[in-house]
Amino acid sequence: MADSEGLFAAYHHRVFKYFCRAVGHGDTARDLTQEVFLRVSRSPVAVNGDGSAWLFRIARNIVLDHQRSQARHPESSALTDEAARPAHQDVSTAVNAALAALPALDRDVFLMREVAGLGYEEIAEACELTPDAVRSRIHRTRVQLRDQLAAPIATSRTMAATRSERTRKDDQ
Amino acid sequence: MSTAHEVISAFLDDEPFDPQDLASALDDPAGRTLLIDSLMLRRIVQPVDAIPPMKAAAPARRFGWRVAAAAAMFVVTLTGGYLVGERRSTAPVDEAPPPTRVVQAVPFVPAGGGR
Repeated sequence: MADSEGLFAAYHHRVFKYFCRAVGHGDTARDLTQEVFLRVSRSPVAVNGDGSAWLFRIARNIVLDHQRSQARHPESSALTDEAARPAHQDVSTAVNAALAALPALDRDVFLMREVAGLGYEEIAEACELTPDAVRSRIHRTRVQLRDQLAAPIATSRTMAATRSERTRKDDQ
Repeated sequence: MSTAHEVISAFLDDEPFDPQDLASALDDPAGRTLLIDSLMLRRIVQPVDAIPPMKAAAPARRFGWRVAAAAAMFVVTLTGGYLVGERRSTAPVDEAPPPTRVVQAVPFVPAGGGR
């Protein structure tokens, strides 16, 4: 059994990170995170287990509601100043664009694993799938994103190699 | 990418996998590249420069509990007061109070002998 304050302490950061990538804006992610825990505090449902699957099912419904609302009012979505972005935000923008191009279920399953750190069983419960379906979707989405984000992944590989080289030289 | 490489995803995600299947997948250069790229992908999808909310939203139902507790206290006080008042009262409420003064009535005799 989990209470709302315990769930907040354990999961608010992970829920927030999931929203950051699912909606692509930190401010919106913060508002939606508050909305999740507001719904949790109002809910009369007694939560079994650690409550993560239940919490992320609420989070997923909120993302879907938000996206439906954004589709109805596209002018209200925040715009980013392309020229003023630092380099790491270019990668972040590319990641957000690649995620936005995915089917909603694939994106959510992938983010619940990679960003929120949920296990296959928890994701299956949150998204009403089987663990085997979660495993297949995560793999398929990884392969798809790897192709779409080839350039940032190549940069990340180069940076990792440079860091490793520098560490080796420092150790000598 | 073949489903034979799914085992690489399971390995990366710390989920159950068959070590023999993993060995076969990693024998393939494409499998090794996928493993490295998946690790890099994991790194770049992490949100940066984002500050999460620091406190939970105030639970709205607490207000309801307070109102219910106040109403219960009111009812208990009212009932208690009624019962105490009833117990302290000495006279039964369905009888008339005892007389404080007795007046004897004299038979009426008209003036002049009744003519």
